[in-house]
Amino acid sequence: MSRKLFFSIGIMALILSSCNMGSRGIDPGDAVKVAVASFEKQAEGIVEKTVVIEGTVLHTCKHSGKRMFLVDGNDSIRVEVTAGKEITKFDEKLVGSRVRVLGVLKEEKIDEKYLNEWENEVRKPQENHNAGVHTGAQGHEDQGTQDKLDQINSLREDLKKSGKDHLSFYSIEASKFEEIKK
Amino acid sequence: MQIKTLRRWNNAIHRDVGYLCVGMTLIYAISGIVLNHFKSGDLVHPDYAKSYKEITVPLPKDGSVTQAYVFSVLDRLGEKDHYKSHVLGTKSLEIFLTMGSVYIDLTSGAAQVEKKTPRYGIREFNLLHYNNIKKLYTWFSDLYAVALIFLAITGMFVLKGKNGILKRGAWLTLIGILLPALFLLFYT
Repeated sequence: MSRKLFFSIGIMALILSSCNMGSRGIDPGDAVKVAVASFEKQAEGIVEKTVVIEGTVLHTCKHSGKRMFLVDGNDSIRVEVTAGKEITKFDEKLVGSRVRVLGVLKEEKIDEKYLNEWENEVRKPQENHNAGVHTGAQGHEDQGTQDKLDQINSLREDLKKSGKDHLSFYSIEASKFEEIKK
Repeated sequence: MQIKTLRRWNNAIHRDVGYLCVGMTLIYAISGIVLNHFKSGDLVHPDYAKSYKEITVPLPKDGSVTQAYVFSVLDRLGEKDHYKSHVLGTKSLEIFLTMGSVYIDLTSGAAQVEKKTPRYGIREFNLLHYNNIKKLYTWFSDLYAVALIFLAITGMFVLKGKNGILKRGAWLTLIGILLPALFLLFYT
């Protein structure tokens, strides 16, 4: 009985470990190559297209590891990468590592309605961590209510200045990533 | 079926499902304590223990950050072998190490050294608790949740008499339901 049980558990472990193999190694195929430095300019024309990007991990989301930010040399431009269904998480140990990411370029539109809803959410006593725009700046996950309201007001200003009815924020929903070893 | 036979089946299934749930219950309970304290701000990170040290480092001589400057800072800290990369901010420099980082304010030379240690075991428990794995685990953890519901219900009928659900058990079950309800009432 117990021998059969351990044999079955062993077989199950083998099946489960083989299921996880798919997330390793990247074949860019027809993916559009994008760079951190020119990400914003490139992004506009390739929304929902498969892209490949390389960069240094500046920050990973400590709440669930669903998000990381890539930079290249300096932190003036940050590219947000979210974990797709195939990715377990972006572990904290990736911070400072050079990575290559394959994924789909996503656009998030921020308009007046979105900002109003976000403001209402922030003003609630129990704030929702997922509300708003993630920046990857140091300590952005521990932002207080006033910091968030300042961010919302700053976005309102940017929206006015843009002359458009929305602001676009681009990110990559990753399906695969790999650490580039030096 | 007689009550006596029903109870015998109830207890036997409760016992075996209970044995099956030991592993997952320990995983969720231990990880739950960690995530609870992370959420309440007692822990900086759920998967890593972190420590910080404030120091002052010399600023780059001509104002420009070079690889040599980065290594000179790490040499002073004895961390040169752990260098991964560095990123420049407008007035700051962040040097990443294999298990930590050094954040330097380039206007004053004030620096913060962060060291992190993985919470082995708990990190993996958190992975399961958050269902980062997804795939088949989603169904497996659903099955575990259903098993817990089953244990809660069958658990009420394990004993009869003065310790059963109709006497002492009724009061204790009621307290167990009222306590979370009171938290909801007073804190939300």
